[in-house]
Amino acid sequence: MVIGLQHYLILSAILFSIGLYGVLAKRNAVIILMCIELMLNAVNITLVAFSRYVVPAMLTGQVFAIFVIVVAAAEAAVGLAIILAIYRGFEDIDVSKIDLLKW
Amino acid sequence: MNLALFIPEITLLVIAAIVILLDLFIEQKRWLAQVSISGLVIAGGVTIAMWGGSYPAIFNNMLAVDNFAIFFKMLFLGIAFLVILSSTDYVSKFSKFQGEYYALVLLATLGMMLMAATTNLIAIYIALELTSISLYALVGFLKDKKSTEASLKYLLLGAVASAVLLYGMALIFGFTGKTQLGEIAQVIQSLPPMTLLASPGLLLGIVLLVAGFGFKIAAVPFQMWVPDVYEGAPTPITAYLSVASKAAGFAVILRVFFSAFGLPVWLSLNWGLIFAALAAISMTVGNIIAIPQANIKRMLGYSSIAQAGYLMVGLAAMGMASAENILGQSGVLFFLASYAFTNMGAFIAIIAISNKLNSDLIEDYSGMGKRAPLLALALTLCLISLIGMPPAAGFMAKFYIFNAAIQNGLLWLVIIAVINSVVSAYYYLRVVKVMWLGEAASAEKVPSSGALRLALLLCCIGVLLLGVIPGYAIRLAQLAANIFAY
Amino acid sequence: MIPHQMVWLIFLLPLFSFVIIAFVVRPLVRPESRIAGYITIAAIGGSLALSIWALFSVMAAPHHEIPVPDITWVVIEDGVTIHLGLIMDSLTAVMLIVVTVVSLMVQIYSQGYMHGDPGYHRYYAFMSLFTMSMLGLVLADNLVFMFVFWEMVGLCSYFLIGFWFHKPSAADAAKKAFIVTRLGDFGFLAGILLLYLNTGTFDIHELHELAITGVLAGTVLTWAAIGIFAGAVGKSAQFPLHVWLPDAMEGPTPVSALIHAATMVAAGVFLVARMFPLFQHSTEALTTVAIIGGITAIFAASMGLVMNDIKRVLAYSTISQLGYMMLGLGTGGVAIGIFHLFNHAFFKALLFLGAGSVNHATGTFDMRLMGGLRKYMPWTYVTFVIASLSIAGIWPLSGFWSKDEVVISAFASQPVLFYLAMITVFMTAFYMFRAVFMTFGGEYRGGAPDAHGHGGQESHHGQPHESPRVMTIPLIILAVLSIFSGLWNVTGHFGAFMGHGETHGFLEGLFHPFTLSLPWISLILAGLGILLAYAMYSKFWISAERVGGMFKPLHTLFYRKYWFDELYENIIVKNALFRGLFGGFEQFDNKAVDGAVNGVANGVIASGRAIRYAQTGQLQLYGLFMGIGILAIIFVIYFFG
Repeated sequence: MVIGLQHYLILSAILFSIGLYGVLAKRNAVIILMCIELMLNAVNITLVAFSRYVVPAMLTGQVFAIFVIVVAAAEAAVGLAIILAIYRGFEDIDVSKIDLLKW
Repeated sequence: MNLALFIPEITLLVIAAIVILLDLFIEQKRWLAQVSISGLVIAGGVTIAMWGGSYPAIFNNMLAVDNFAIFFKMLFLGIAFLVILSSTDYVSKFSKFQGEYYALVLLATLGMMLMAATTNLIAIYIALELTSISLYALVGFLKDKKSTEASLKYLLLGAVASAVLLYGMALIFGFTGKTQLGEIAQVIQSLPPMTLLASPGLLLGIVLLVAGFGFKIAAVPFQMWVPDVYEGAPTPITAYLSVASKAAGFAVILRVFFSAFGLPVWLSLNWGLIFAALAAISMTVGNIIAIPQANIKRMLGYSSIAQAGYLMVGLAAMGMASAENILGQSGVLFFLASYAFTNMGAFIAIIAISNKLNSDLIEDYSGMGKRAPLLALALTLCLISLIGMPPAAGFMAKFYIFNAAIQNGLLWLVIIAVINSVVSAYYYLRVVKVMWLGEAASAEKVPSSGALRLALLLCCIGVLLLGVIPGYAIRLAQLAANIFAY
Repeated sequence: MIPHQMVWLIFLLPLFSFVIIAFVVRPLVRPESRIAGYITIAAIGGSLALSIWALFSVMAAPHHEIPVPDITWVVIEDGVTIHLGLIMDSLTAVMLIVVTVVSLMVQIYSQGYMHGDPGYHRYYAFMSLFTMSMLGLVLADNLVFMFVFWEMVGLCSYFLIGFWFHKPSAADAAKKAFIVTRLGDFGFLAGILLLYLNTGTFDIHELHELAITGVLAGTVLTWAAIGIFAGAVGKSAQFPLHVWLPDAMEGPTPVSALIHAATMVAAGVFLVARMFPLFQHSTEALTTVAIIGGITAIFAASMGLVMNDIKRVLAYSTISQLGYMMLGLGTGGVAIGIFHLFNHAFFKALLFLGAGSVNHATGTFDMRLMGGLRKYMPWTYVTFVIASLSIAGIWPLSGFWSKDEVVISAFASQPVLFYLAMITVFMTAFYMFRAVFMTFGGEYRGGAPDAHGHGGQESHHGQPHESPRVMTIPLIILAVLSIFSGLWNVTGHFGAFMGHGETHGFLEGLFHPFTLSLPWISLILAGLGILLAYAMYSKFWISAERVGGMFKPLHTLFYRKYWFDELYENIIVKNALFRGLFGGFEQFDNKAVDGAVNGVANGVIASGRAIRYAQTGQLQLYGLFMGIGILAIIFVIYFFG
């Protein structure tokens, strides 16, 4: 079997879905953050795969992926800081218990 | 490349850095606001000077310097100016991190300015994240439970939305092999329609883009974060979010959907209809849920969802319109400008009032007409503008955008929008009624600082000006939207 | 010839007065000061002077119209511009006179009536704003502007009905009026949009032109005209949107006199007259106007027969007279409808101000608590009787002339409506004189049992006494107008001014009615009505209770307002399933709330209350919604795209 573009795309779609599932189902805020990283990395796979197969002469997708990684790191940093603040306030990081704001 | 065209952005970046550093050394924290404002004024001056010129795109065609971008830059700088003016009181209560507050506002503004200017998917993503991450931090700035909760919700949902957006971008990149909007358009137009239809990749990509941007502009069903975040965030930031962040989202949508997916016609009809449907749902949901709200910030959160619905009427008109008809685009621009003044005004009045009351409950606004007649009058004007009643700006804006929609065959949508406007009068006027006809809880006057009053005055002048003599602003919006005409 | 700057000034003067009162006087001057009233009176007096000048100029002008140059306001694109422009024709000139005269009288009267009210400045600010909007509405030359002013008078009315907002009934009434009239405004707006879509213009002159030349015709014209008429139905409290006007009497009485008797409610009639060429070219629309008018006239009059609150009697009488005007428009044309509007404005304003004067003395509006006031309040009594004779249509008072024309034109084109109108003539005379005898005849029955019973400062102690001169002089002026205003058309000059009809000598015209049979019949019917009222409420030859008992079902029907409020309520009940799903059992809480509109509004509110709980605060649920949203869009695109 030759590994082609489709396989990468399907892999990334599965990873993206797993990430999304985790975001929706996991209660722990840190795990949710990790799942978001998973989603972003799934996209990175797509980008690199497309770049490799669609425009092999260029590095557009790879460059895009690097930017995504950088931004994701920044996002994670802010996210962890906010989760820390949440823990100080609520003494819990179970997102289902963080519902002061509603209705 | 002409770096001079990048001066406004550089100014903001430098001033943001200066403000953080200055915070370490000076005792008189009010200087921070003044330095920030001076930066905004410089950047604004340079931006205005660039209006009307035709400049080449900079950074390898990544950033356009056209009237459209300049229009939005002026809008964002103006909004940031008002936000900082109205924050001075609010922020002076913080024991520390005042410098960071102003710096983050400036950086978010920088991100939005870039969003309005970029013509490349990669740059759009980065600009959007620059804005978002600054705003995540700002939303949680109060560090109390509600504020951090709002921040967490905004961050997690925002990150999911941007992942979805990114996935859409990746699909479009994969389908066309390009990230530059103009080149994407060329590839799409060169392909035969059957190829486009046969491959779901492009359409899926577009849908994911709609979802990702829909989050930014608070369109149903991507709006769930809005009321919670608006309620929890510091009020000036709520104002900022509701106005600037939404405007930035619309700027990107206008540019991306028009430059990349404007043709072929069946494609633009398709996304036009998506926006039409989202518009109808957004305004209905926003208005209906706004009715029973007791917290005015939360109510304005739902109201901003409804306003996003009216704005999307313009997007739908753009999708339906032929290429030379720019009424939809210019309508969105004009609406955004009038909405900026209106909503900023409303929030500034709320900041002034809740500074005194320490409450955002509508019932506590009872008798404001007696305690703070000018504040109450300003808030009334802004609410009237939000309803869309003359002589306020909101009327003109709605009239303009609905006219665009009717001309492009969206009469049904306009009918829904008009019914919605009538429904919305109910909850806006409830606040007016409470303020003017309610009993005051105490006879105590509500003081407000000079900066706040200045900001409010500017907003009210803007609201009246755009409502009574809108000709000039409409001309401006049309010139800005002209980049879309072939 | 009046310069066009002066025409603009007509409606700018009250605007200036509003701005001065709202922004200078109200913050700076103590509420006891009467300065706000003087400013308003001066401004409206100025408008009146200019209006009279305008009237004479228009009379002298060719085609009875003075061109006023437009000002370009907004250019949206090449084809779509909005001009600021004014119409100055005979219709406008007459309406200007009506609005400014009545407004001026009411403002003078209010100096006495509202003196010492804590909201005195606010009152005059809104009155100025209202007068400005009303004048703007009359002068507007395009539908957008007209609609703007149309909404503004509605808003002012909302604030003035709810003026004594601490009374819950006043607040409710204000809300009800606002919502019900909004329902009609939907139609108006739809009509405007329909016209715009088909003609590309909002300009009234152009629309007239298009209708007359037949470019605008067929179903479009009919629907547009009916849409516009729907707006008029809401504003002029025509059947079935009449329910708000009686409740609107919760406002201060001078407000009722100005807004809910003479001017704003007549705006609907004016609107139909203004757009008359459109109605003229659509038989269906014109017939609808006539039928609604005829039904409203008798329907409202029947309810007026049994009310005990003097203001409510007058309110139903207003609705009924507005029905007459619509009937006149629908069967006879602009001149006839507007002539009745013109006369009605004076005598109805007089009646309301008289009722206010009575209330000033007794502290109540309940006629069962009044009686014998003839002795104490001679001026009020005399003027009230003059107005009552006029509205009953007794020769040669003003009401006779215009009502006569309406009846005659109805006879010529819609016989069924003619019979309804004739019955209404009898009813009108009866309920008006019932009010006269109950209020002024017999012995004084003590006034308000609880001196603080009626809201605000409308309270009183001890013996009733005549109102101060500042209140009686407007009454006298209006009484003079009620006697003589009808004489304008005795010679046919009013009709000629409005565009058709011939003129003849004064004496010939004055006695002309007696050569015809219809005027005799209506005079006799009116006389019988007065006699019956005299017999029942002055001499008690016929016991009112007996009669009430004999016609018990009918009496109840009238008294309960045909269960109209309850009927609307039932529609709400039918919505119970819908509401039950969302809102639960709330409708039992506010059973007193009436109006179908409230039903819809409650439905919306209830669904809002329900849907908001989808916002659980659980951020993962929010994420789920986003996911479902994306899937839904994909699904729709895939299957329908």
